[in-house]
Amino acid sequence: MLESKEITKIFGTKAAVDHISLRLEKGHVYAMLGPNGSGKTTWMKMAAGLIKPTSGQMLFEDKPVDIDSRRKIAYMSTESFFYTWMTVKDVGAYYADFFDDFSWDGYRAMLRQMELEESMKTKALSSGMMAKLKIAVTMARDAKVYMLDEPFNGIDLLARDNIRRCILEHADENKVLLLSSHLVEEMEAIADKAVFIRQGKLAEVDDLEEMRVDRGASMADRYREIYGHTEE
Amino acid sequence: MLKLMKYEFRKTWITKLILLGVTAVAEIAFLIGLYVERETTLGLSVMLLMFLALGGILMIGLYSVMTLHRDMNTKQSYMLFMTPNSRYSILGAKVLECGLSILIGGAFYFALGTLDLTLLFAKSGELNRLWSAIQDFLSHLTFANHQLLIDMEGMAAFVFCLLAGWILTVITAYFAVVISAALLNGKRFNGLLSFVLFLALSWFVGWVARTVTASIPSINTLLLVDGAISLAFTAVMYMITAIIMERKLSV
Repeated sequence: MLESKEITKIFGTKAAVDHISLRLEKGHVYAMLGPNGSGKTTWMKMAAGLIKPTSGQMLFEDKPVDIDSRRKIAYMSTESFFYTWMTVKDVGAYYADFFDDFSWDGYRAMLRQMELEESMKTKALSSGMMAKLKIAVTMARDAKVYMLDEPFNGIDLLARDNIRRCILEHADENKVLLLSSHLVEEMEAIADKAVFIRQGKLAEVDDLEEMRVDRGASMADRYREIYGHTEE
Repeated sequence: MLKLMKYEFRKTWITKLILLGVTAVAEIAFLIGLYVERETTLGLSVMLLMFLALGGILMIGLYSVMTLHRDMNTKQSYMLFMTPNSRYSILGAKVLECGLSILIGGAFYFALGTLDLTLLFAKSGELNRLWSAIQDFLSHLTFANHQLLIDMEGMAAFVFCLLAGWILTVITAYFAVVISAALLNGKRFNGLLSFVLFLALSWFVGWVARTVTASIPSINTLLLVDGAISLAFTAVMYMITAIIMERKLSV
């Protein structure tokens, strides 16, 4: 459904993403893992159409990502990106204006779940509340692909449970969910596939069930094997 | 496109509201000065209104350039560029919102100025000195070595030429901001290079307009042709900027 072919992004002299070929199939929840600066965010931004690749291709349903793919791919950046003059309600109105798959009912239900008020000003939200708002507005879309960059950043344990539940409610056989996080154990409870990225290159893609059964290893074990002693 | 324009307006409406509020205060001071016949109040309010007309139109354009810069260089850029809109539409909405704001603002201040001058003219017997001073000021206005015609048609042509020229200057600044974000990002002297590019383009467009209009004898025709050239260059500059955004801009 979402595929990169030899995709590369060079900033200055550094390759943030280096010839990554990766295909994400519907019906799976992918955990994209790697230390800071490994290229996860750049890859996601290229899939969202925010960053132009230096070379290679990013395809959605076998066509290069474009305006149409942005209608079907929901991307949540790790950074706060709402206009500072917006209230929580304005954020919903903005998404409703631009994305046909946005559901006000779904948004309001998630706001209640996340204990956010529509009248709250986004510039007054704490980092945890902002993270919850980003999740709520992104998951209120009925997209084919959800890409969540560090969805658990700055969020307490209870809110994390809420977010995990919310993410899993959206997982179905016709959708792709791609999440990046440093909280490997947290991801293990959600994902069924793991994508390991190392220094801009694709290290490997694993099926977590197979990894557990065949190798007796968890995602965290594999993470330590891949990145231990070299980058952390 | 309309939805994009709505949000472009939403980003700037408070600035415009403040401008309108201050203009209303100055206009009330003008009317009080006129009917109570206090020349000091009248003189100050006329100066303030002229300053607001000029400064307000300048500010609308400058604020629009600052908004574009923020939309290219901060995380707020995601709000625009992750939506299913082409970069032609995104830039087009900005150009149209800014251009319309400048034209409507200019027309508003022109109409207000005409109204105030009419009122002042009606009372010119009592306020002879002030009216003479304004007439004297207007008679000294020149454009490309031609003296402007102090009548409704001449002033309208002058205002159109100024507004079109300002819209072109703003779009040239857009071009420089986009070049800076898309092609020079991360390079040394990025800001300086894009500013030099802005100056060079402004000079070139001015040179073309001067060359084309040099042989036009009528001042009003000259003003209209100059304004039309500015609008034509605005369209060209928009296309080039949008193509660069579409092909090269990463946010």
